[in-house]
Amino acid sequence: MSELRALLARTTEQVLSQTPDWAAVAQAGLDKVLVPESWGGFGGSWEDALIVIRALGYHAVDLPLAEAILDSVRVEERDLHTAMMVAAKMAGALSAALDLSVEYTRQRQQFGKPLASFQAIQQQLAIFAEEAAAANMAAAAAFRAADRGGAAFEIACAKLRANQAARISTAIAHQVHGAMGFTSEYRLHHLTRRLWKWSSEQGNERFWADRIGAQVAQRGAANFWADLTR
Amino acid sequence: MPGFDFPPFDLPPEAQALRGEVRAFLAEELAGKPAVERARSWSGGSREFSRRLGARGWIGMTWPRKYGGHERSYAERYVVIEELLVAGAPVGSHWVADRQSGPLLLRFGTEEQRQRLLPRIARGELCFCIGMSEPGAGSDLAAVRTRARRVDGGWKVSGQKIWTSNAQHADWMIALVRTGDAEQRHAGLSQLLIDMKTAGVTVKPIANLTGESHFNEVFLDDAFVPESMLIGAEGDGWRQVGAELAYERSGPERYLSSIRVLLEFLRVVGDAPSEAERLLIGEMTARMWTLRQMSLSVVGKLAAGENPAVAAAVVKDLGTSLEQDIPRAVQALARPDCDLSGDDPFQRTLWYLLQTSPSFSLRGGTREILRGIIARELGLR
Ligand SMILES: Cc1cc2nc3c(=O)[nH]c(=O)nc-3n(C[C@H](O)[C@H](O)[C@H](O)COP(=O)(O)OP(=O)(O)OC[C@H]3O[C@@H](n4cnc5c(N)ncnc54)[C@H](O)[C@@H]3O)c2cc1C
Repeated sequence: MSELRALLARTTEQVLSQTPDWAAVAQAGLDKVLVPESWGGFGGSWEDALIVIRALGYHAVDLPLAEAILDSVRVEERDLHTAMMVAAKMAGALSAALDLSVEYTRQRQQFGKPLASFQAIQQQLAIFAEEAAAANMAAAAAFRAADRGGAAFEIACAKLRANQAARISTAIAHQVHGAMGFTSEYRLHHLTRRLWKWSSEQGNERFWADRIGAQVAQRGAANFWADLTR
Repeated sequence: MPGFDFPPFDLPPEAQALRGEVRAFLAEELAGKPAVERARSWSGGSREFSRRLGARGWIGMTWPRKYGGHERSYAERYVVIEELLVAGAPVGSHWVADRQSGPLLLRFGTEEQRQRLLPRIARGELCFCIGMSEPGAGSDLAAVRTRARRVDGGWKVSGQKIWTSNAQHADWMIALVRTGDAEQRHAGLSQLLIDMKTAGVTVKPIANLTGESHFNEVFLDDAFVPESMLIGAEGDGWRQVGAELAYERSGPERYLSSIRVLLEFLRVVGDAPSEAERLLIGEMTARMWTLRQMSLSVVGKLAAGENPAVAAAVVKDLGTSLEQDIPRAVQALARPDCDLSGDDPFQRTLWYLLQTSPSFSLRGGTREILRGIIARELGLR
């Protein structure tokens, strides 16, 4: 990671982990991550923006920061880039829910030992970790593609993959938390309820699978691999 | 947790340039090869094909020149491997040697072993097999009982290996054997290079559920192995085998094994798919694209000199699940007249992969073992 990007990551973490208000976010300039330096922004790329958006999801912050970042640049396909933003928030929320689940099962004792020591729990959380990794990979690759331009396919795959991961992982998160995860007081639902909402925002699985499927079928078997490796 | 961090990795231009060359070579080599044959991927092998590939410089690509390698990048090797697998090339004869035996020798082997074996592997002349599993040692590999007894000038090895892929064709086996006491478990293990022509080595093929024989039993009855065939240090076998398994798990072959049936499905569906067909294609495409990004990220880690063992376990588990889901989902959605008895390429490929895909999450470490590795990285055990 470049020094600048590391600095952005640190600032983002400092601000967004403290249940910030809009003033704090604006003061840190997080809404200007894509704005050129000469215009008083951070002068970053989409990959830099990913750091900020992902952290929004990780810390379950409900500020219109993704929208502000989108407003700050000219994008040709606003809906597509909004979907990319949602995918990034979902990737962050999945990582947070995983961390929470790992922490909880290491602390909660039953049968005289931590839940984490039971293989049934370990195997479920391994699946969760894989799904979270996949969603984060897909988002990262989509943002990188956006920096290159013309990222429609990558964004479609990233949103669909995030939806798939959310469907599988939120079930595991709740199962390993027992009744505690079903309370209003415990913060798991800050993440899982957002993940369920986000799964239906900017295209559910049917929407994106249909779109990708139609396009891939149109291109035909002969182009499938060539297109994937372009 | 670094094991779950997958930074994007872009293939450098020279790797992408190589892709065209490989595609052209394969288009010619494999012209007319039926889909079901292509679906065999690394279960199919041809010594002649391996030699031709070796002549192209596409085996041992990353190894030093002085051992017959080509000092190409991991990224270039990755491109060659994925093109071979997607085309369904018969890579089985050199696959193990190129992927794990060679790298193992490069890292732990003696100078003599490297000079003697690596150049021939890179020319595509040698077939290796992996002698890890035994009747009593599957997932619990440290339970290996095959014994190497010290004798003048080397060892006498006795015991039995099982599920040894390609043993009936192999020139060499790298065997995990017990040189110390059974009570020592991990510390008593060593790796030996065993010439398959040695007296006392008997190979008995085992038919798999399709009736074909790819794996074998290997009986070792006082087989003599010279001192010079010890890999690394005596008693270091466990550590070394861990490194070998990491090589085995980190490649792109861990998500591409069922691509042939997806391609066949695309072919029969044509450009007017039903909604259900579009949904299946879309789902599998997104998963495959994501896995390829993850696989590339593992290549990036290798190129950076990192040990991607955990990341590779993640890719392998997600990858083999995709490889198993594709044939099942395609079967569920195939047009009603597809009863798996048809002689057309689609049905034959589907039937072949439905039968063989259960092995994908067994070979190279089972799904449960991989998830155990991931759980350890999560700090759960
Ligand atoms: C096609 C194929 C090719 C192969 N080629 C080779 C080869 O070339 N060389 C070689 O050495 N081996 C080879 N193998 C063997 C392979 O490595 C073993 O099958 C694998 O390690 C599992 O061992 P096992 O079959 O004895 O199953 P077992 O270890 O008996 O496992 C059976 C089931 O129990 C589960 N299980 C076992 N232990 C645990 C645990 N602690 N916790 C939870 N679940 C557990 C497993 O995950 C699995 O689901 C091959 C296997 C196949 C299918």
